[in-house]
Amino acid sequence: MPIHEKNLVDKDRLLVKEEAKLDGLDVSGQWSTFIEQRILGDYSTDVLDAVASTPAGKTIVNCWQCGTCTAGCCMHTDFGLREFNPRYFIYLAQKGAEDELKKYAPVIWRCVTCNKCVERCPKGVRVEEVVHSIEGYMRSKGWMGDTPASRWDEAFVKNTLQTGVLDELALTRSYVSREKLAEFNNRFMLRMALKLVRTGRIRTGPLRHRVKGWEKVRDVAKEILEGGGEG
Amino acid sequence: MKAEAKVEVQEKIGGMAFYPGCSLDGLGKAYEKSAKAVIHDLGIQVENIKNYNCCGATEVKTVNYDLSVFLPARNLALAKNMGSGVVVAPCNGCVYSLSRANKAVTEDESTRQRINGYLGKAGVSSYDGSVEVKHLLEVIYQRAGPQAVRSHVKKPLSGLKVACYYGCLYTRPKVYTGAGLQEGKDNPEHPHYMDDLLEAAGATVVDFSAKTICCGGGHAVADREVSLGFSAAILNEATRAGADVVSTMCPLGHINIETNIPKIIEQYGDAIVRPVMYFTQLLGVAFGHSRKDVRLADNFSGADTAMHRLGF
Ligand code: SF4
Ligand code: SF4
Repeated sequence: MPIHEKNLVDKDRLLVKEEAKLDGLDVSGQWSTFIEQRILGDYSTDVLDAVASTPAGKTIVNCWQCGTCTAGCCMHTDFGLREFNPRYFIYLAQKGAEDELKKYAPVIWRCVTCNKCVERCPKGVRVEEVVHSIEGYMRSKGWMGDTPASRWDEAFVKNTLQTGVLDELALTRSYVSREKLAEFNNRFMLRMALKLVRTGRIRTGPLRHRVKGWEKVRDVAKEILEGGGEG
Repeated sequence: MKAEAKVEVQEKIGGMAFYPGCSLDGLGKAYEKSAKAVIHDLGIQVENIKNYNCCGATEVKTVNYDLSVFLPARNLALAKNMGSGVVVAPCNGCVYSLSRANKAVTEDESTRQRINGYLGKAGVSSYDGSVEVKHLLEVIYQRAGPQAVRSHVKKPLSGLKVACYYGCLYTRPKVYTGAGLQEGKDNPEHPHYMDDLLEAAGATVVDFSAKTICCGGGHAVADREVSLGFSAAILNEATRAGADVVSTMCPLGHINIETNIPKIIEQYGDAIVRPVMYFTQLLGVAFGHSRKDVRLADNFSGADTAMHRLGF
C-alpha cells in the first residue's frame, strides 16, 4: 500500500516488488511496496529524563505528536530535508528509542532556529529548543561529534567574549579559513573588506567596539562556561 | 547627582532605551544612521544603552543556557538602570534573545536567582524581567504610525514596488515576543506594519509570500547550502511578485541575502536579484534625506545605483 512518510523507514527495510500478485490479482505499481517487520525492544528513559531536566528541553513532556511542527518546519518543508523531522526526534526521545535516534546525528544539527515550530505548536512545546537539547544529549553521549554549526557557535562565543561585542568580520574570516570554505576565498573577503574600508565600516581588530569594564563580566561568563551552567 | 536627575527625567517621559546590537556599529551602519534619522524626524526619542554587550543572538544558547540568558539580561538590567521601561532593538535576533531572557527570568525562580547572582558578580544590579522589548518597526508603527509617516513624506516612493521581508524572529515565537497576544504587537503569521508604513510613504507594496521565511539565520556561513537556498527563494519570490526592491528590518537577514548574491547569480542567474534595503533607508529617502544620508552606497546589492536609476 502507499506508505506515509516513507523516509522514516530504513531503506533496507523497504521491499519493492517488480511484480506483485495477490490471489492471482496483479497488484504491481504503487501497491508493490512493503515494509519488512521489525521489533524494537531497547527503550531507555534516559533521553527523556535528561532532556526534560534542562531548562531548554523541559517542554518536551507536553508533546502530543500532532506533527504541526514538522509540517511547517523550514528545514523539513521549505528546504525539503525530509529526514529532518522535529516531531519524530521528539517521539524517539520520548520513547527512548536510542538506536533509532542515533541515526539522525547527521541531520539534527541543521535546525536554523526559525522558531516557526515554537510559534505554531498547539501544546506550548518550545520545539526548537527541545531539538537543540536533544542534539546536546546526543553529543554528550558521543553519538555525534562537533558539526559545522557547533564549531561556528563555539567560535561565536569565543569571539564575543573577547570584548563583549561580536566582530563579525574576524569571526567569519577565522571560521572560513579553518573550515576551508573555498567560496569565501581571499578575493571575496578582500572585496568585502575594501568596501567596508571605503564606507568607513571597518572596526575589526584594534578598532573594534569595546565594552568598558568588560573584563569583570568576562570573568563571570567564563565561570558560567566552566561551571557548565544549566543545560 | 547628575546621573540621578537624568533617571528621573527619563521616567517622566517614559524614555526608551535603544539597543543597537553588534551589527549596527559595523556592517549595519546604514541601518543605524537611517533609523536614527527617521525616528528623529518622527519625534521619537530614544537613548542608547551605554556599554551594552552582545545579546548572544541564536548562537550562544546552543553552547550554554545560562550564558544565553546572562548576556541579554545584562543589557536589560542596564536599560532598567537608565529608568527605561522599554528597550528598542532594530534586529530580529536581538528582539528574540532579549525577550527570551525576559521570559527565562520571569517564569523560573531558580533561573532568576542564578542570573541575578551572575549579574551581581558582574557589577550590574539585579533584574526582574520587567523591561519590555520592542522591535524598532513596532515602535515606529505604534508611536508614529502610517498617518505620521504620510505627513512627513517629502519625496513619495511613487512607482516603487517593494517586497517587505520581515524574517523569522521579529514576531516569533509569541511565547517570547508576545506577538498576537499583546496589544501593540504585529500579527505573527501575517505581519503588516512594514507594508503599512511603506505604503504610507507612497510605495506600492507587492503581495509577497516569503515575508516570514527564514534566511538561514545563524547558519549563514556554517550551512551554505541552506543559507543560499533560502536567500535565493526570498529573491525569487520577490521577483515573481513583481518587486523592484526588497525591504528588510533585520541586519542579519539583510547581510545574509546581500552577501549571498554573487553565488546566487552564479547558480541561478541575475534575473532574480533585487536590490536589498533597510526599511528605514526607504523611509529616509521618502522623508527627503539624500541617498548618501541613508548610506545606500553601503549596501552590497547595488541599491544606490538602482534607486538613482529609479529617480530617487
Ligand atoms: S507541534 Fe508540538 S505537540 Fe505537535 S508534534 Fe510538534 S512538538 Fe509535538
Ligand atoms: S526552528 Fe528548527 S525545528 Fe523549528 S521549524 Fe525552524 S528549522 Fe524546523
